[in-house]
Amino acid sequence: MTAASRTGDGRTARRRPAVLLALPTALWYLLFLIAPLVVLVIMSVGERSPNGGYAPAITLTQYAALPTRFTPLVNTLGLAALNTAICALVAFPVAYTLALKVRGTWKLVLVALVVVPFWTSFLIRTYAWMTLLGGNGIPRVLGWIGLENVQLLNTPFAVSLGIVYNYLPLMVLPIYVSLERLDRSLIEASRDLGAGPAATLRQVVLPLAAPGILSGIVLVFIPVMGEYLIPILLGGGKTYFLGNALADLFLQSRNWPFGSALGAVFVAGMIVLVAGYQTLSRRLVRAGRESSLI
Amino acid sequence: MSKRSTTTPRDASEITALAIERRMTRRGFLVGTGAGLGALALAGCAPPAASAPPASAAPSSAAPSGEASPSASANLGDSMTLATWPNYHDPAVLDEFTAATGVAINVQVYGSTEEMEAKIRAGNSGIDVVVPSNYAIEGWVKDSLIESLDYAKLPDFKKEDWNSRFMDQAFDKGNAVSIPKNWGTTGIAFWSSKVNPEVTSWKQFFEVAGTTYKGKTLIVDHQISSFGSAAVAMGYSLNTIDPTEMAAVEQMLIALKPNLFAISSDVQPPLRAQDTWLSVAWTGDGVQVVRDNADAKYVVAEDGGELWIDSFTIAADAPHRDAAYAFLNWITQPEQAARETTFCLFPHANDKATALVDPAVKDNPVIYPPADSLSKLEYAVNATYNSPARAEAWARIKASA
Repeated sequence: MTAASRTGDGRTARRRPAVLLALPTALWYLLFLIAPLVVLVIMSVGERSPNGGYAPAITLTQYAALPTRFTPLVNTLGLAALNTAICALVAFPVAYTLALKVRGTWKLVLVALVVVPFWTSFLIRTYAWMTLLGGNGIPRVLGWIGLENVQLLNTPFAVSLGIVYNYLPLMVLPIYVSLERLDRSLIEASRDLGAGPAATLRQVVLPLAAPGILSGIVLVFIPVMGEYLIPILLGGGKTYFLGNALADLFLQSRNWPFGSALGAVFVAGMIVLVAGYQTLSRRLVRAGRESSLI
Repeated sequence: MSKRSTTTPRDASEITALAIERRMTRRGFLVGTGAGLGALALAGCAPPAASAPPASAAPSSAAPSGEASPSASANLGDSMTLATWPNYHDPAVLDEFTAATGVAINVQVYGSTEEMEAKIRAGNSGIDVVVPSNYAIEGWVKDSLIESLDYAKLPDFKKEDWNSRFMDQAFDKGNAVSIPKNWGTTGIAFWSSKVNPEVTSWKQFFEVAGTTYKGKTLIVDHQISSFGSAAVAMGYSLNTIDPTEMAAVEQMLIALKPNLFAISSDVQPPLRAQDTWLSVAWTGDGVQVVRDNADAKYVVAEDGGELWIDSFTIAADAPHRDAAYAFLNWITQPEQAARETTFCLFPHANDKATALVDPAVKDNPVIYPPADSLSKLEYAVNATYNSPARAEAWARIKASA
């Protein structure tokens, strides 16, 4: 909008419909992004009222108390990084096979199968895992082959399983798209020039798939950082994420300012992350373009 | 109280017989709907106002035969909002109120008192009647979230019908702002075939939780109930906010945590699946699991623990105040209270109501425990609910590895 108003009169007239078209988007951002963030920041410099909730103030007390949530922060960062890495490692071969090894109807069917679970409620799928991992599920089957008393549910393993399972399509799809667009003749050329499969993968496929992998990493890492339900349902409340710390601050301690401060810092961290991603991905795309020119 | 199980039978004959397929605690309910902070308006509980008979035309035969039928009045409006717990009200009872007064009841369901508080503290919630647990009430009065009850608008309320154990308590002297809905306990649920000898005190519970029943014990995700019971086990008050005592309880629970099955308010599913053998539980969980399994037990701990009351209160910014009073005046009457009790399976504080409760409920010691077993129990106080130090201790326990 501001860009349009800065341009010459003739252009402004022509741009006016575009400005009008952008208005709903701008309003949307203002109402549902900017305004809540402003409220969050205002609350974060307030005080907890003696009986809970928010009392107006200008203080940095809440920010000073942030180190008390260091453990959940480290937990969350560590587990988000680990599970994003697992997702990437699992998703790449899947996406590679879908994009380059399967053709025709099979390809359609298999890609659809990656997406279909997304149409079922996240909660139903997670509850299904609770049953599978609970004592009457897989552990009982393990009991039949002599592995007694294996606890799967409410372990860090169950939390990772739930995260990888739920977020995998978000990793598979962008990698699939980047590989799908890949010019196959480059792979053939690489082979013709004497590179083995490993060298081709490393020097040709991976660099070209990098933007897709990067998108997948961001798409998985950010929501996992905010994950709240999987640690409760599959972790039995024993794995404590930042999301759980936040929920407890609002719904158990009723400490809105502290929750807001934690939320504000979390949002700021995510913005930095996304900005970093955009810079990196722009660089990757440019590098890809240059290399393909050579 | 804190959070509790939700599924209830449709009528009294089903209480001992019926096995219900799906059970969720209050927390589980919210998780299940993904509602989190938000409440769920159960449209099915109240027919739209338009379908209700006009107030003036409501036939008195539609009202219960009791002396206190909800009186039709032109000023009550056509709807009101009730913020309450899952499966706490008999829909038939609520429908009767609507039929007689033309006031449709919009039922919002919450998983905890804290969640109700988040909503009414934010203001303009549209809530008229809210049913918090005892420990929240003092703070809500201080912050003017609920109003002083005008007993002139509750003409059918008879104080002498009510059990003195639950009335005129420290959290609300003279019942100035609240009238009990139902009460209950926080006790110990276990499988008697697995847990031997029986665990009948919190002291025992926390001794065997991490040892004999390692990986088979659950504590609920609520500082009052779990931290409080652990404090009782160590010989302190449920309500301790003494730094030294709290540090000791915290240390004990951090050491215990890796050996627990879960810290979760969804008590019933793992208990029924025998993933847990021993569990902190609220009355509702105990009642339902014991009803369906002869082998399961629910006991009120010998060494003390939590006694709680949920009470009807009227929000200070209630948009339908007259309807709210008419509803309270009616729902606290013995006949309605008895039907609600038979439905929700939590004991009632009105003795006349209790007398009318289905014998299968009234004579069930899990629902109505013997009076002497309650003598050592404590109400959680507002200072406990409100203590930042307890909240932080609980957060550290939950965050610990």
